[in-house]
Amino acid sequence: MPVWVDPEKCNGCHGASQPPCLRMCPGDLIVKDHTANKAYLKYPEDCWDCLPCVKVCPEEAIEFHLSYQFGSKGAKLIPHIHKTHDQITWELIDTQGNSETFTIRTKLMPVELDEKVEGGTQTLDFSI
Amino acid sequence: MERKIIETDILIIGGGTAGCMAAVEAKERYPQLNVTILEKAHIDRSGCLAGGMNAINAYLNKGETPESFVRYVRSDSCGLIREDLVKTMSELFEYCVKKVEKWGLPILCDDQGNYLPRGRWNIKINGESLKPILAKAARSAGAQVYNWVAVTNLLTEGDRIVGAVAFSLRNGTFYVVKAKATIIATGGAAGLYRPNNPGDASHKTWYCPYNTGAGYAMGIRAGAEMTSFEMRYVALRTKDTIAPTGTIALGVKAPQVNAKGEQFMKTRYAHLGGDGAPTPYRTYGPLMEIKEGRGPVYLDTRGLTPEQSRELKSAYLDMYPSMVLYWAANNIDPSKEPIEVQTTEPYIVGGHCQAGYWVDGDRRTTLKGLYAAGDVSGGAPYKFVSGCWAEGVIAARAAGADIASMPPVTVSDEQIAAEEDRAFKALRSQGKVRYPVLPTDMEARLQKLLEQYAGGASTYYEMNEEMLQIARQRLAKFPADFDQLVANDLHQLMKVHEIMDRVDVAQTLVEHLLHRRETRWPSYQTRIDYPERDDVNWLKFVNSRLDPKTGKIEVLTRPYEQIIPGDRYKP
Ligand SMILES: Cc1cc2nc3c(=O)[nH]c(=O)nc-3n(C[C@H](O)[C@H](O)[C@H](O)COP(=O)(O)OP(=O)(O)OC[C@H]3O[C@@H](n4cnc5c(N)ncnc54)[C@H](O)[C@@H]3O)c2cc1C
Ligand code: SF4
Ligand code: SF4
Repeated sequence: MPVWVDPEKCNGCHGASQPPCLRMCPGDLIVKDHTANKAYLKYPEDCWDCLPCVKVCPEEAIEFHLSYQFGSKGAKLIPHIHKTHDQITWELIDTQGNSETFTIRTKLMPVELDEKVEGGTQTLDFSI
Repeated sequence: MERKIIETDILIIGGGTAGCMAAVEAKERYPQLNVTILEKAHIDRSGCLAGGMNAINAYLNKGETPESFVRYVRSDSCGLIREDLVKTMSELFEYCVKKVEKWGLPILCDDQGNYLPRGRWNIKINGESLKPILAKAARSAGAQVYNWVAVTNLLTEGDRIVGAVAFSLRNGTFYVVKAKATIIATGGAAGLYRPNNPGDASHKTWYCPYNTGAGYAMGIRAGAEMTSFEMRYVALRTKDTIAPTGTIALGVKAPQVNAKGEQFMKTRYAHLGGDGAPTPYRTYGPLMEIKEGRGPVYLDTRGLTPEQSRELKSAYLDMYPSMVLYWAANNIDPSKEPIEVQTTEPYIVGGHCQAGYWVDGDRRTTLKGLYAAGDVSGGAPYKFVSGCWAEGVIAARAAGADIASMPPVTVSDEQIAAEEDRAFKALRSQGKVRYPVLPTDMEARLQKLLEQYAGGASTYYEMNEEMLQIARQRLAKFPADFDQLVANDLHQLMKVHEIMDRVDVAQTLVEHLLHRRETRWPSYQTRIDYPERDDVNWLKFVNSRLDPKTGKIEVLTRPYEQIIPGDRYKP
């Protein structure tokens, strides 16, 4: 599981049909379970570990994990977006709990909680 | 299927680095024209730039000129490039960089306000948000953007390209976009060869795994002339995470060392420039160390100061954050241990190497009405983000100017019906095909075939005539199985098209690899049966064109033209 949506923290962006995490994934790998009102990574094996989903979640509900084949579990990398949108502070915690932070300039674009999809999102019957 | 017909002036396929810049340029120069972008993801975070960037890798720092740039790129690409293309793109670096800076990209500067170089042709940026910055500019300029719309083919009218067809990943709408001019900007191709990492990390590739060669494949099917597919890109990357190494090699000037601590580039490749040898040799050198039993190979970061170490981590956070988590998970301190590197699976990327459409100086392809920009366009290596922007600008200017003399577009109903059938076939086949093939099944078969017979990592990227003949014969059998591909949903339908595209790209690739009977770019293109470079017979471009009527690929050569005088092997 490269990135993981914590269902405790995810609030579904208040009923959004296309929440930010889902929109910002370049592989279109995240979907939303509308019944549970939670997002989840549907195709973990296709994840690029590129992190737009993690950075964009307003609830910081998405955790970044390395595949186990790359190293031990337990280390953490958490981006905190500044309210001013011009900085990110990355919190890095190694497996022994030592932490380091990095504050980096950026120019974040404000992101809406939802976005209308051209033509709607209805599921079609493809059996015809 | 619901159909949506769009009529536009300029269609841009792929809203990435080149595509967004092309859209802005087209709208600024020709505000009266309609500009439409079709993007299979969401332009805010699609393609190579999704994770961010920490440098602009092609820029004329103080004292450099388009001529000095061409000389460098020519020697870095072992003496063979389209000098005209490399020159014209470099003339626009400044224009593009200034624009993006104005849109808000933080570029690192010294006390006097000069950009901070990172190596001879690079400048440092805080580019974590580079893609959303470009996307906003494209939208604000007035381009009509359709997100989550995957393009499956070009529309043709005689020998002219008149738009494209696509389907929506959200609702299955079939898009028919009729366009007077079409700019293709879909990036390069990953996923042709077996990836470096297995299982749940198979998409932990360097190149964007969602760029699957769609633009090459559409052009091939329509009969466009392609160039230099044999110049694959095999990158030197960090072990496991496959992160770019320029950040370490250029950023903190770490040399390559083998297991014995020997700086082998300095000793064995001194005649080629040591650690500054042409890029293919910087892959080939470490590869030979490993092959000959002197691996693993490292970038020697030992002795970095704590500030440099933090700077290195910050740079990765702007572009490739998983590198930093990897160090934390494995308790690696780059200032105390060297960073192990490895070579990647081969990619087809016209922005690092020069595989792609054969274009004229204005980035017109050989098909009327079709222009190419960025990693999908050929002949001009060393593009990186800024070269992709420059090509987007050049293509948009040409497309906008050409439109005035272009007749109106007509598309036959038969063509639209046939394309709709092709687009959705795998969905409709679900439950109806006796022996269904999943896109992942075909992917595994393709990757194994190229890996073993067309110079994959397991043969140290080496290949010979006999191996390539096997690859050619076996690849020829794939298209017959396209009818058996099935998809359960729209996401899987996209994957079906991705694998069909990659098969088309692979067939062209193998023809190119067979044709060039010399070794010009060791490791990118190592013909073990023709191990030497041969300027007498092969200082020319290998091009190909599929005849859409017969499906046969014809291979031809085009002459190299030296524009900038000087020794082609000296930077
Ligand atoms: C990890 C990484 C780090 C890099 N770091 C740097 C760096 O620091 N500095 C630098 O200068 N260069 C860097 N590069 C190189 C540079 O990013 C690329 O050369 C450049 O971004 C390519 O631009 P492009 O427009 O050709 O492709 P992209 O920007 O990838 O755009 C292609 C677009 O086409 C879309 N698309 C693909 N297929 C379809 C389809 N069928 N239908 C619709 N849309 C489609 C994709 O979703 C994507 O949006 C890096 C590249 C990578 C992969
Ligand atoms: S952005 Fe965050 S809170 Fe919103 S749906 Fe996604 S994971 Fe949940
Ligand atoms: S890390 Fe990147 S590829 Fe993976 S789910 Fe997030 S946005 Fe998508």
